[in-house]
Amino acid sequence: MYRRVSIRLRKQFVSVLILCAGLVLSVSTAQAADPNKGKTLFQQNCASCHNVHKKVTGPALKDVESRWADKKLLHQWIHNSAAVLATGDQYANNLYKEYNNQAMPAFPSFSDADIEDILAFIAVESTKGPGGPKTDAGPQGAASAEGSDNSLLFGIITLILAIVALILMQINSNLNKLAADKDGVATPEPVPFYRNKAYIALAIVVLFIVGGYFTINGAIGLGRQQNYMPEQPIHYSHKVHAGINQINCLYCHAGAEKSKHAMIPSENICMNCHKSISTYSGPDLFTAEGKKINGTAEIQKLYDYVGWDADQQKYTKPGKPIEWTKIHNLPDHVYFNHSQHVVAGKQQCQTCHGAIQDMDEVHQFADLSMGWCINCHRTTKVQFADNKYYSIFEKFHQDVKAGRIDSVTVEMVGGTECQKCHY
Amino acid sequence: MKRTSNILVVAALAGGALLAACNTGENHRKPGRIYMPDMYESRAYEFYNPRLAGLKPVEGTVKRGELLPYHVKEGDTALANTIKNPLTITEADLAEGKRLYNIYCGICHGTSLDGNGPLYKGGDGPYPAAPANLAAGGPKSHYTQGRLFYVMTYGWNAMGSYASQLDRTQRWKIAAYIKSVQGGEAVALPDAAPATPAAGPAAATGDSTSNK
Repeated sequence: MYRRVSIRLRKQFVSVLILCAGLVLSVSTAQAADPNKGKTLFQQNCASCHNVHKKVTGPALKDVESRWADKKLLHQWIHNSAAVLATGDQYANNLYKEYNNQAMPAFPSFSDADIEDILAFIAVESTKGPGGPKTDAGPQGAASAEGSDNSLLFGIITLILAIVALILMQINSNLNKLAADKDGVATPEPVPFYRNKAYIALAIVVLFIVGGYFTINGAIGLGRQQNYMPEQPIHYSHKVHAGINQINCLYCHAGAEKSKHAMIPSENICMNCHKSISTYSGPDLFTAEGKKINGTAEIQKLYDYVGWDADQQKYTKPGKPIEWTKIHNLPDHVYFNHSQHVVAGKQQCQTCHGAIQDMDEVHQFADLSMGWCINCHRTTKVQFADNKYYSIFEKFHQDVKAGRIDSVTVEMVGGTECQKCHY
Repeated sequence: MKRTSNILVVAALAGGALLAACNTGENHRKPGRIYMPDMYESRAYEFYNPRLAGLKPVEGTVKRGELLPYHVKEGDTALANTIKNPLTITEADLAEGKRLYNIYCGICHGTSLDGNGPLYKGGDGPYPAAPANLAAGGPKSHYTQGRLFYVMTYGWNAMGSYASQLDRTQRWKIAAYIKSVQGGEAVALPDAAPATPAAGPAAATGDSTSNK
């Protein structure tokens, strides 16, 4: 009796177990939503308007499933949003209004499994939290190499040698005096060195040379601003934009090819990207003083200038200009044209502005002196062949053809004439 | 007497030198000393005052050498689709279009037009939204040159206007370049047509009639 009951119980238990296993299996096969497949579908079809953590053209999709009352309705919405709007669903219609009455395109080709895959991908991403790839470079700006400067060492050695020479001279004169005393020759009373005319003359000459050197250098440096690195209203890093993110210089300074000025970009050019990029996730930034910069706060400063509300994705206030501090300054009596140098002269930006793609804060690389201009004009060879700009210099074209000269410098095409830049 | 005057001269020179040399501040935050400031602080540079900074050209101004104005209003994509490229495109223009595309568009849309430029990097870059795939057979490959010009002029979805960086001639050259890479004959994909929001059926017919 007892045994029979236990056998029956055991049978029931096994069947329940099989049933349960079958149920679990069937559920899992029905919902085998594959986030990896979803990722591909998401990037191909959704990502141009949606981001998981951020509002772009459409809403952020984090926890989207919990926002919709009915999953079936969400499927319908993705298949054909206009049909859901037509039913008068409150949530859907509010959403449509919130996004400027811009309808989401229909995706009738998606199967229910496809949509489940996408939702699975979104669910996985939702748990991850925002933030792109973090590349921790560490505080490199603050601890930049000091540069081994040997001039101090040389100065100390020179000083020591000078003192040794002085002592030797003193000893020499003392010995001479002793020798003279021994011989019984009367010597005049020695003059102290600070009243010795030879010493005074030497000191004056040395002072004159050293003082003159500094005076001349200082006078030449008046009005020159090499290495000038002012603090700007926004810590805009050229290194992040032009270096790490490889944005071409001309993307922002479009005027360099077309006009005299390279142009400080207008704010709408910043907002081409920063409408969507509202956080900074690159390597840590530091000022020259070693202060750490919060990149996201700097982007917020831009938003304050242009009156952009990142949460609403709208311009809510009138914009005002960002007052960047001008670094490169030429006096009024010099004419300089960017397009001439960039288009006809085919110069790289870095020739005059230095390795701008490595500068967090921009400093003036060249001294912008006339000697610097002229030196470059004397040595730089213009691209003479196949350049319509120089087609009128017939004599040089013939000379090049005849092999009399191998290249033409800027100076030869009038690059050092006074009136070229001063008129 | 003579000697003291000599020393004074030297001291004055050295003092002046020191004054001139130490004037850029720590980390070169200050521009340094200048003489004749009227030559350096030019009136021509006063472009930050609110009146000048916001100045726009008079309505209807046409720049010398620039193409005639583009009259399609923002939002009128149906008309935009039908506008033809007014330039006669040569090989050199396509090369210029490619150069401009790589500078201004390639950063997001990728130099191979696949919508995967350095700013997106398949989702790893700083830009959160996937830029449109412009390659042949992609969802935007049915766009006419007129439509591409419209998008560059007014922007589309997350993309902003490029009218301040590219003049009209340059925008048409880029549009011609994009179509030339897609293979000239753009095929209007049946499943791609509904993927253009707000374009509607008018846009679709415009596409099929004006495809070149």
